[in-house]
Amino acid sequence: MASLWRKLTHHDGNGWWNLPHTPSNEPNPPHEGPIGGAWLGNMWRILTHGGVSHAGPGFYWLVGLFLSIVTLVEVWLFAVEGLGSWYIPLLLFLSLLKFIGVVAFFMHLRFDHRLFTYLFGASMVVGIFIFTLLLLLLEFGNQPPN
Amino acid sequence: MTQAAITEHHTPVEETSTGLNNRKLLMWAFLGSDVMFFGAFIATYLVYRGKSLVGPYPSEVLNIPITTVSTFVLLMSSLAMVLALHYVKEGEKNKGTLWILVVVVLGAIFMGFQFVEFREFAHLGLTPRTNIFGTTFFILTGIHGAHVTIGVIWMAFLAYSSNNGALRSDNALDLEIAGLYWHFVDIVWIVIFTVIYLISANDAPPPGMETITH
Repeated sequence: MASLWRKLTHHDGNGWWNLPHTPSNEPNPPHEGPIGGAWLGNMWRILTHGGVSHAGPGFYWLVGLFLSIVTLVEVWLFAVEGLGSWYIPLLLFLSLLKFIGVVAFFMHLRFDHRLFTYLFGASMVVGIFIFTLLLLLLEFGNQPPN
Repeated sequence: MTQAAITEHHTPVEETSTGLNNRKLLMWAFLGSDVMFFGAFIATYLVYRGKSLVGPYPSEVLNIPITTVSTFVLLMSSLAMVLALHYVKEGEKNKGTLWILVVVVLGAIFMGFQFVEFREFAHLGLTPRTNIFGTTFFILTGIHGAHVTIGVIWMAFLAYSSNNGALRSDNALDLEIAGLYWHFVDIVWIVIFTVIYLISANDAPPPGMETITH
């Protein structure tokens, strides 16, 4: 379990989601697959780009297919009745999956220098903070005093 | 530029304090600010969700099947964008130009969908001045539409440059930066589609307040 946790979370060279250091003009680092630097990355390279060391058209088509399928699932959830309180959390989760798919792979954050990830991630944190604050303020700020 | 600054791929490394290209860093900083910009409008929409005193209400006007198609179109434009960047970097001019043109066409189709939707809403009596739903909806989707329009114009220029040979593998960063902008427009729509369409489309009018009979 500890080993699995380390692979999932660590960026010290052994993790599946290890972010490589690369020059800004080479977003696809050598020896690095779109999923990770270990066997998973090699597997993806073989599957999607004929063994070449970075993501290619095949991989991007797969991501496109994934995004399309998730969108269809979202619409299917819309049509399904009886999900109750699960409906919104499920939609938000699927939306998050699509968001990560585009940002990580189409925008190359998965491959790129981690400063870009920090910059965008920090903006997301501030954005979500403002978002939450605004929701709370307008939801509870106009309540008449007891 | 020193010899040491040339990588094994003969790609020049920027001699900046961060080692990163300043234009690309600037685009990421801009996108970060745009996250907060759109975040504020989405939050505003959610705050006023379900608070319209008069119709039309979301469940009466939002058309999920049509918007699903336009969402698919925008997602595929992102795929076309990343393929265009790949081929331009590979030096395959014709394929690169073709995929940039696909981005332009899909972006224009998305704009067409939005135009038709806005016109349909106006026909149903929903304008930015009708109620609070109309105001927040049109401002948010309108600003997103303005972003798409800028992106389409930008991509059209890049398609022209690529066709002329001015956009090549050695200056593909121009396309990559434009691509970052385009993908960002896509992820904003991913959020809008979920929050405004799929979640709000169930917002029925209060009993006895229906404004549109289908």
